[in-house]
Amino acid sequence: MAAASRGLVRRLNQFLLRSLSPSPSPSPAALYNTSQLRMFCAEDDSRVIEAKPGVMTRDSKRSGAIAVKCGMTALWDKWGARIPITILWLDDNIVSQVKIPEKEGFCALQVGCGQKKEKHLRKPEVGHFRAQGVPMKRKLREFPVTEDALLPVGTSIDVRHFVPGQYVDVTGITKGKGFQGGMKRWNFDGGPASHGASKSHRSIGSTGQRDAPGKVFKGKKMAGHMGVEQRTVKNVWVYKIDPARNLLWVKGQVPGATGNFVFIRDAVYKKPDVSLLPFPTYFAPEDEDPEKLESLVADIGDTDPFMAAD
Amino acid sequence: MQSMCGKLRLVAKQAFNNLKNAELKPIASFDSKLFGCSIPSSAFNSSHRSNFASELLLSKNFGTTSCGIPSALRSCGGLSLATNHSVSSVLTLPNRNMSTSESTSQDVSVSSDVPPQRIKFKRLDKTARHIMQIIDKESVEEVKAAREMPVIKPGYTVQLRVEVPENKRRVTTLKGIVIAMRNAGLNSTFRIRRLVAGVGIESLFPLYSPNIKEIKVLDKKKVRRSKLYYLRGKMNALKKQ
Repeated sequence: MAAASRGLVRRLNQFLLRSLSPSPSPSPAALYNTSQLRMFCAEDDSRVIEAKPGVMTRDSKRSGAIAVKCGMTALWDKWGARIPITILWLDDNIVSQVKIPEKEGFCALQVGCGQKKEKHLRKPEVGHFRAQGVPMKRKLREFPVTEDALLPVGTSIDVRHFVPGQYVDVTGITKGKGFQGGMKRWNFDGGPASHGASKSHRSIGSTGQRDAPGKVFKGKKMAGHMGVEQRTVKNVWVYKIDPARNLLWVKGQVPGATGNFVFIRDAVYKKPDVSLLPFPTYFAPEDEDPEKLESLVADIGDTDPFMAAD
Repeated sequence: MQSMCGKLRLVAKQAFNNLKNAELKPIASFDSKLFGCSIPSSAFNSSHRSNFASELLLSKNFGTTSCGIPSALRSCGGLSLATNHSVSSVLTLPNRNMSTSESTSQDVSVSSDVPPQRIKFKRLDKTARHIMQIIDKESVEEVKAAREMPVIKPGYTVQLRVEVPENKRRVTTLKGIVIAMRNAGLNSTFRIRRLVAGVGIESLFPLYSPNIKEIKVLDKKKVRRSKLYYLRGKMNALKKQ
């Protein structure tokens, strides 16, 4: 819904600019006709989105992927250092819709994850999948991409889309914490334990000034419901990938409980090396045997981190 | 009686499948002829597969393009890629089931876009935990295969050679009694109690850590607890017990 309105606004802006630039502005009917014509023209020479490797530039933005958080564990790297690991499962990701500037007004890819039966979906959702000609998916998510990173509908995004050693941003819905006080929710300091403190050891303290505003400002950090919010953990290091089972090992925590969906994108801050990433995505060769794929581990260098510290 | 019934049903099913197969094969080949000229590239791609499979692939292509996408030509490459994937999954099935899966995919691709494989509808957190269990088991097996490891239990006196990476990778040897085990897959730990200069010292080690170079069992004491925390109260516990 939001996407449609965004596209609509963009389209309207284009038309307004178009109608303002010529000196005698044509009648509304004529304008409408020309716009209709333009739309048809755009759809006639419809862009051909091919699934073929391209060259990634620094400004290119690749599609993300949807994963299921499987849980956490810890393992030792080759130097004997213990790394906390979260395992993410890219369950059958495919591109389910392509949004192009001619139609929607912007470039984006809608990616679907998992499988679902038709009887478990609502009619409009089934209609969407039917119209796109893709199998029913459990979770859908739109990822904004640049124009050169568009992929045709039905392209599968497997775990080799990400390269071990790169950094990603992981978005998810955090676990619910219930009603929490200021100390847990906002990291307030609370009150003193002694020195005459009475019934205010974990209280939030003052909430404002005196008569001058005479009120508590909106947005004051107080106790309240915590958790069940969308949060992004940035710069998560990809340790290992397993192409045979579409599993991704990342270092550290990601938001959400076990079995929740998380959304993985290339990191915004610690940008990966554009020459190493498969662009627009990794295209698996047709004759590969999924059983024989080896898992890839990130390169952690040849210098011993424990000896280097001395 | 029941098995008899089952056998009868099986025979009937096979007969039916054969019939279906015989019916469907000319149709599929017809499709491939009809469509082979319009998508030569995909025909070329699949030519290295068996003849039968290529027919199936083409007919599948035909089915999806005809019913699904408004602009078939635009996303032809992607589609052939996606369908190839599904077909390869079909191909991995044993030969006996080939006819049934083929016929179902035929029916389905013409009528609707439901994938041919059965969709399991389990709670995702259960699937996720299952995956974790499998991975945990695999990594434990990997460690066990890589190095020799004796079974250690509470009450055993063991001698360890531990590498300490933080201390310039020096290898220290220590001897003590195992007073507790925590079995948690790859994260299993054991607790060792020893006497250093008359002071009892407990240390906790991950069982599958690569920093433990060697475990040697020196002595086996019979104990009736799984956690020997009562040894903390005893002086000189190692000798007396």
